[in-house]
Amino acid sequence: MKGKRKRAVTAEFHTVKRIDNSRLVRNIEPAKMRNLWRTVAMGSLVAAFFMLYIFQHFRCIDLSFQLEDLKGQQTKAAALNSELKLEIAGLRDPMRIDVIARRRLGLTEPLPTNVQDYEAPDGAEEAAVHYVRPNRVP
Amino acid sequence: MQQDRVHVRLLIIAGVAFLWMGAVFGRLTYLQLYRHSEYLSRALRQQQRTFEITPERGAIYDRNGQPLAMSIPVDSAFAVPSEIVDENLAARLLSGVINKPQQEIEARLESSRSFAWIARKLPPEKADAINKLNLKGVYLQKENQRFYPKHDLAAHVLGFVDVDEKGLIGIERELDSQIRGKSERIVVMADAKQRWFDGGEAQRERGANVVLTLDEKIQYTAERELAAAIAKTHASAGTVIVMNPNTGDILALANWPKFNPNKAGDAPSENWMNRAVSAIYEPGSTFKLITLAAALDQGITRPDEVFDCENGSVVIFGHRIHDHKPYGLLNVAGILANSSDVGAIKIALRLGSPKFYDYIRAFGFGSKTGVELPYESRGQLAHVEDWEPIAIGSISMGQEVGVTPIQLVSAVSAIANGGLLYKPRVISELRRGDKALPAEGLLAEQEPKRVIHPETAATLRRLMEGVILHGTGPLAHLDGWTSAGKTGTAQKIDPTTGRYSRTQYIASFTGFAPINNPAVTILVSLDSPVGLHEGGEVAAPVFKRIAEQVLAYLDVPRDVPLNPKLIETAYMKRASEDASALEDSSAVDFSSQPDAPPTASQMTNVAGREKPASMKPVLTVAVDQGGDIEVPDFSGKTMRDVADIVLRLGLEPVLVGSNLATEQSPAAGAKVRRGAKITVQFGTPLEKKSKTRPGIRN
Repeated sequence: MKGKRKRAVTAEFHTVKRIDNSRLVRNIEPAKMRNLWRTVAMGSLVAAFFMLYIFQHFRCIDLSFQLEDLKGQQTKAAALNSELKLEIAGLRDPMRIDVIARRRLGLTEPLPTNVQDYEAPDGAEEAAVHYVRPNRVP
Repeated sequence: MQQDRVHVRLLIIAGVAFLWMGAVFGRLTYLQLYRHSEYLSRALRQQQRTFEITPERGAIYDRNGQPLAMSIPVDSAFAVPSEIVDENLAARLLSGVINKPQQEIEARLESSRSFAWIARKLPPEKADAINKLNLKGVYLQKENQRFYPKHDLAAHVLGFVDVDEKGLIGIERELDSQIRGKSERIVVMADAKQRWFDGGEAQRERGANVVLTLDEKIQYTAERELAAAIAKTHASAGTVIVMNPNTGDILALANWPKFNPNKAGDAPSENWMNRAVSAIYEPGSTFKLITLAAALDQGITRPDEVFDCENGSVVIFGHRIHDHKPYGLLNVAGILANSSDVGAIKIALRLGSPKFYDYIRAFGFGSKTGVELPYESRGQLAHVEDWEPIAIGSISMGQEVGVTPIQLVSAVSAIANGGLLYKPRVISELRRGDKALPAEGLLAEQEPKRVIHPETAATLRRLMEGVILHGTGPLAHLDGWTSAGKTGTAQKIDPTTGRYSRTQYIASFTGFAPINNPAVTILVSLDSPVGLHEGGEVAAPVFKRIAEQVLAYLDVPRDVPLNPKLIETAYMKRASEDASALEDSSAVDFSSQPDAPPTASQMTNVAGREKPASMKPVLTVAVDQGGDIEVPDFSGKTMRDVADIVLRLGLEPVLVGSNLATEQSPAAGAKVRRGAKITVQFGTPLEKKSKTRPGIRN
């Protein structure tokens, strides 16, 4: 029963409608502008804080690495210092000095008669200080 | 209609978003509430490292600030087994570096998932080798290792530590809590590449440094002379103590046998015993000093009172006691000088047991002296109520009483200083940085205790001088200083028979010098010398040698003129004896420092702190290697001949005295370089005639 119905052809007219918007004036509301700038400023501030946080976080990590490096160097220097002190102590071993003195240098103990007591004149001790090496152990 | 469709689509999107958010939220809730601890621990395991930082153990110095023990950081290798991918491979690689069996390392890795030591306190080259392996899960950690740079010097006083730096004997044990400091844990964050950052600062309390009263040079002198005496007498053990009688400060404390605390495990544990404070022995005749001190202090006798020594034997309470030599009439001075047992017994009997016991206790016998060394013995002294009747006789001559060397030297110091008994001490002070810590507890100063009157002490000093001048101890006579002392020869108990041995003795000598203002008290004790065994024969010469060197070192003014002839006689054999004293050290190669890690100067060579390619020992000190000119023997030559020879060899003569050459330095045969000074002493050569040894008895 359904028949093919032909749709009626309708004519289309193109009409140019000229609209004059020249009379429209953009109304700038100061309050809204203030809000806008405030928002932008706040946003920038938040962004700046965020960036600062990120920067300081990574800077902190970077400095931590540098600090650990420096600590490592300090530890190495302290260890070297300790090793040098140990070496000096070993070199000052009385037995070692005795063996070198007697065996290699052929030194012997002086006879008591070879040792002369003397009375130091006034000021001799002070003067002697200038001739004693500063690092000399008493 | 159109709007409804839009709403439906929005609802679908919102629903999906809501479901997605719900799923995320649900997952988050699940992770945060139910799996929180698990993931947290996993994260911490990945990001954090916790270390226990043990502060550096305090150093030990002698009285002049010379280090005797110190710690330096070294690397130890550990593993986190859960991080190791192939344990077998890791164990094989590590085994090649640290020279341990692969199975042992594997067992260690399997023992724990979180932490396992691979090797502790590694030499630098091995630590570097492990580092270069770059194994995942294997790390290095710094630990402190104890070193004793003077090797076996004062080993019994210092003691040693175990691998965890815990003191086992000596000062290391006695002051462990103060020297050790407090350890602390720190947490270090690590990034994905296992680089450390954000390491916490541990508030480490460094261990206190200990300053001893010992003087390393006096200590060395005592040890060298003791070693020489041991070599000469073949004694099984020996002890030397040098004390300042005016303060109780111990300047040297030497024992034989000794050990190297850097390698304490290599020596038998008997060698670790500090005989000076732990060994109990019967003092023999040296104890007659206490008998006489008590009698003189009580005024029951005088130095010139004469006793009948009954030709060498006396019967008391049914026991016959023989003197070592028959004496007739002897005054008190003679009894001490000749060490008459009969005389001492008669004096003690007059004194009575209770008074005698009180004096023995007052001199510190039967109780610990309080010296800051572990395992001190209180000796053996029965209470007077438990004494057998014969005991007073035995104790008066140094039997039936057990003393330690430190007790005896303290008692003799009391006689030397005028009657005050000081607590002997080896610790001068504890320091942290530049600050001296307050002396508390064991280190607290104690007032000396008066045990005899000053007049009694002065009398006794004079009597003790007689022992050296005309008694049993002439070999303790000093060149240049007055001295006083007492010999002792105690029979040891034979453990098989339980009776006094006729072959095993403890020979001792204890004395001080100079007499009027004593600077040092010295005790020498030799256990079981072979051959000559009497105190006056074997211990007195050791006293002499030590006292002369120590008094010269301490710049104590001489109080008697020198007799050059006597000195020349005495020093004729000195050079050869010195050589024998150092025989033990002949094997020591100081250039290689076998106990220490590679020296820092080796590690920091000019080429930018690079290690030397080979670890061969190198000389660590620039010393004169000597020259190629052999010093001739000048003995008996005239001054002109000596000068001609010396100048011809290109050496510089230093000629002292006149007549014929008697002494020279360097010795004949020594190698010197051109221009070296040769000192030659001239005088009258000694006649070679047979000399009779003076009668020496205990």
